[in-house]
Amino acid sequence: MLLLLVPAAVLLAVVFVAPMLHYVWLSAHANSVLTGLVPIPNQGANWLRLVSDQRFWQDAGQTLRFTVVSVSLEVLLALAIALLLDQRWRGRGVARALTLIPWALPTTVMALGWRWIFNTPYGPLNQTASLLGVAPLNILSNPSITWMATVLADVWKTTPFAALILLAGLQTIPTDLYEALRLEGASQRTCFLRITLPLLKPYIALALLFRLAQAFGVFDLVQVMTGGGPASSTESLALYAYINAMRFLDFGYSATVMIGSFILLLLLCLISWSFLIRLQRRTGRV
Amino acid sequence: MKTLPVRRLLIVLLLSWSLGPLLWQLYTSFSTNEALITPFANIDHRWTLNHYKDVLTGNPPFWRYLINSLIVGTGSTILTLCIATPAAYAITRSRGTITNVAQTMLIVAALFPYVLLFLALLEVARSLHLGNHLLALTIPYAALSQPLAILLLSAAFRDLPIDLEDAARLEGLGLWSRLRWVLIPLIAPATASTAILVFLFAWNEYPIALTWLSDSSLLTLPVAMARIAGSSIYSVPYGAYAAATVLGSIPLIALVLIFQKSIVSGLTSGAVKG
Amino acid sequence: MTPLQRVVALRPRLLAALLALLIIPIGLASAPFRHVERINILMPAPFADATRPLVEQFNRLHKGNIHLDVIRGPFETEAISDLAISSLLLGDTPFDALLMDVTWLPKYAAAGWLQSLDPWFDASDVETLATGAREGNTYQGTLYRWPFVASMGLLYWRTDLMDRPPETPEQLEAISVKLQADQKVPWGYVWQGRQYEGLSCVFLEIIDGFGGYWMDPENGAFGLDKRNGVEAATWLRHLISSGISPQAVTNYAEPDALQSFKVGDSALMRNWPYAWAELQKPDSEVKGKVGISTMVAKEASSSTATLGSWGLALLESSAHQDATAEAIRFLTSEEAQKTLFLSHGYTPVLVSLFQDQELIKVNPTLPKLAEALEHTKARPETPLYAQLSDVLQRELSGVLTGEVSAEQGMKNATNTSTVIMRSAGDRR
Repeated sequence: MLLLLVPAAVLLAVVFVAPMLHYVWLSAHANSVLTGLVPIPNQGANWLRLVSDQRFWQDAGQTLRFTVVSVSLEVLLALAIALLLDQRWRGRGVARALTLIPWALPTTVMALGWRWIFNTPYGPLNQTASLLGVAPLNILSNPSITWMATVLADVWKTTPFAALILLAGLQTIPTDLYEALRLEGASQRTCFLRITLPLLKPYIALALLFRLAQAFGVFDLVQVMTGGGPASSTESLALYAYINAMRFLDFGYSATVMIGSFILLLLLCLISWSFLIRLQRRTGRV
Repeated sequence: MKTLPVRRLLIVLLLSWSLGPLLWQLYTSFSTNEALITPFANIDHRWTLNHYKDVLTGNPPFWRYLINSLIVGTGSTILTLCIATPAAYAITRSRGTITNVAQTMLIVAALFPYVLLFLALLEVARSLHLGNHLLALTIPYAALSQPLAILLLSAAFRDLPIDLEDAARLEGLGLWSRLRWVLIPLIAPATASTAILVFLFAWNEYPIALTWLSDSSLLTLPVAMARIAGSSIYSVPYGAYAAATVLGSIPLIALVLIFQKSIVSGLTSGAVKG
Repeated sequence: MTPLQRVVALRPRLLAALLALLIIPIGLASAPFRHVERINILMPAPFADATRPLVEQFNRLHKGNIHLDVIRGPFETEAISDLAISSLLLGDTPFDALLMDVTWLPKYAAAGWLQSLDPWFDASDVETLATGAREGNTYQGTLYRWPFVASMGLLYWRTDLMDRPPETPEQLEAISVKLQADQKVPWGYVWQGRQYEGLSCVFLEIIDGFGGYWMDPENGAFGLDKRNGVEAATWLRHLISSGISPQAVTNYAEPDALQSFKVGDSALMRNWPYAWAELQKPDSEVKGKVGISTMVAKEASSSTATLGSWGLALLESSAHQDATAEAIRFLTSEEAQKTLFLSHGYTPVLVSLFQDQELIKVNPTLPKLAEALEHTKARPETPLYAQLSDVLQRELSGVLTGEVSAEQGMKNATNTSTVIMRSAGDRR
């Protein structure tokens, strides 16, 4: 019986476990164009470099900012969408399918689309602005606002997925619970706060964790939409690791950046997890 | 029903948020360059099909990328299901601890931002000369899809009554026959939704395709789009790009509309049981 | 009809389609089978567009023997290198040659991707090149690249506001302060202060002009935190804090500086040769009032112009090396350079063309460019240049915005650069 597991287990070990172990080993070596892409031990120089690497920490800050802002927006918006889609109305099925479309498209396709939408001066946003007599916004070339454009694009693309998870959660809540509470004369608000939200919590946690991990590894969107610019203000850790390997030809340091990012992600997940648990304890159950 | 107008407004808002950017691409793809640069001026030639003509007669023509993605998507889906189905069955029929450990590990793997794996996979491609082979790409894709596929399929196996399998065993059916003639047909709906999700993943995957493919006639759709994007920031041939985004979106929009039920049930059962 | 019958009924058509599928590829495969060597050269889109007539000419000349295709790559410099590297890493590259920026060469050469050009170009060929154009083509003594178009940092000055351009940093300050006090111009000097490659180019000129160095080519030592390096960074910061350069210069790239100078807002500008043509356009406020000079320096002999040139490099993996070398020779010939200069204003690399009266008539700055080419200096020629430049840009950007002192910033840059070299396996 367990033989049936072997192919999948081997595949998973080769693709998930082996690379991470390989990175740990690689991060203790110089393996760059200078060494002819042959690994040579370098006595922890990669890690020393990581600690003092301004670009790494700037990217870590940017990745964190991107993750926190876009995931919170996504979950809030997804909750609203799920509530709307959970109600009964004509055409709900079609609407549900249509809402799902952004999630199904390749990220790179709409990353290109967003670049056109934010284009200065011909994109629709700036055309509307000029129609209103507002000076054009250089959204994609201003280091202090470009990251918000990437957040918007990410929220647009991934909210449907979070909404669907929450919708699944909503549908597990038995309707008689609501009816019972409503018989006591409770308002919709009370129903929401005392039934929906508490029972939905595991699903919110699931959506949150899932999106947290995905957003932290953001790559496609940033690489195509901004290339990490301007002045690497939108560069994510994954993109930095990619640039180190594919542009700087420094595989050893790229592996170090990836392990570093992975550790930061683990920390982030642990912090959010303990936060969620504390929240659960404090609010208690219904 | 006095809340109805509010709800109607919300629905309109939701749909315009989801579809607005796409509709803008659609509009752009049919507009002439002059119409794009001077949107409010009166011009005679506002509409054109030239952008589509450019994209479809490019080198290589755009449909090539769609076919490449189709090959990779189909190949990955088949490979994933062939490996995940037996594994899912084994997990559901094993003892408690194995199931639990496997389940937890699969969830962690499903959460893992796989983009971090690209460097190791690139080294694999380099040393085994797997670069620029569409079917070779299905191997990492099948591996990356395993967690989700096994979780969904094992949930489906668990829902089947155990008596059914016992009855089949009494009939003298071996493991393989039971799977082939009894169990797999019964989980067909779950298999279908898993297949769609895996297909979508493989169709949309970017970082690994980016590092494994360099030959421009072998690019999958996402990489091709990114390469098109890289060819300009400053000039304004956005009409052609918009045409490309529209052409690249049509198959997926069709897929979502046709298989809406399977996708939703796949994702939701994953969420409810996972 | 049952489904089976339907398939049978369709069979003739199916067979025809299958036959067609078989025949078409055979036909396509046999068509170019006449020993024509097909070669591909990857170029950034603007260069690919500019060379189109030359490519047609080359293909007419070599009809039946060589067919050259120039692949139109991305616009952005980095994107084109990414494209080339991703195919080179997989070891399956469709290109025979690349048009590459001067800063890429050490990386590509160290990776073993380039073929030495020594069998095709000898010392007598090198002698036809202008002094500055001879630089940045070799790595560890081997010729890997043949220059295609030259470029170097220049100091643009307003002929209506001063008699002669400043030669030293002190003169630059004095002229600017005076013109600003007389309310002739809002700003004295504009340059590229944004955190990007342009800032590294600016700084190379200043640090060398102050008698220092960024990286010693002999032993790979960094000179950023030496006295001259700190002085250079301090001076750039001083330009901003004293109001000679606008605060916004910390966010200026080439187009921003050009814009300020073009509308007459500043008396001096650092830019590349392409700016000349822009300043002579009808919408320019300073048309006919612009001179070109070399960058200011403490001593005339140390005046430096950052070398920024493009050149053609032959890939080691190419199966048609002779044919590709032939194409490189053709695209960089005197005739080709003349064509490109006249059609697109590309600065030539051959000595002979800088004295060509026909060309000087079109662009009177040519002798000045030749002079600047005597002062060119390449950015540090190491495979790790991109990382080192990134570090310098970051620290300098901090210095220019006043977040960190020049001394501290240069010290940080030096330390980080050393750490990078060590982590990448440099054992010097």
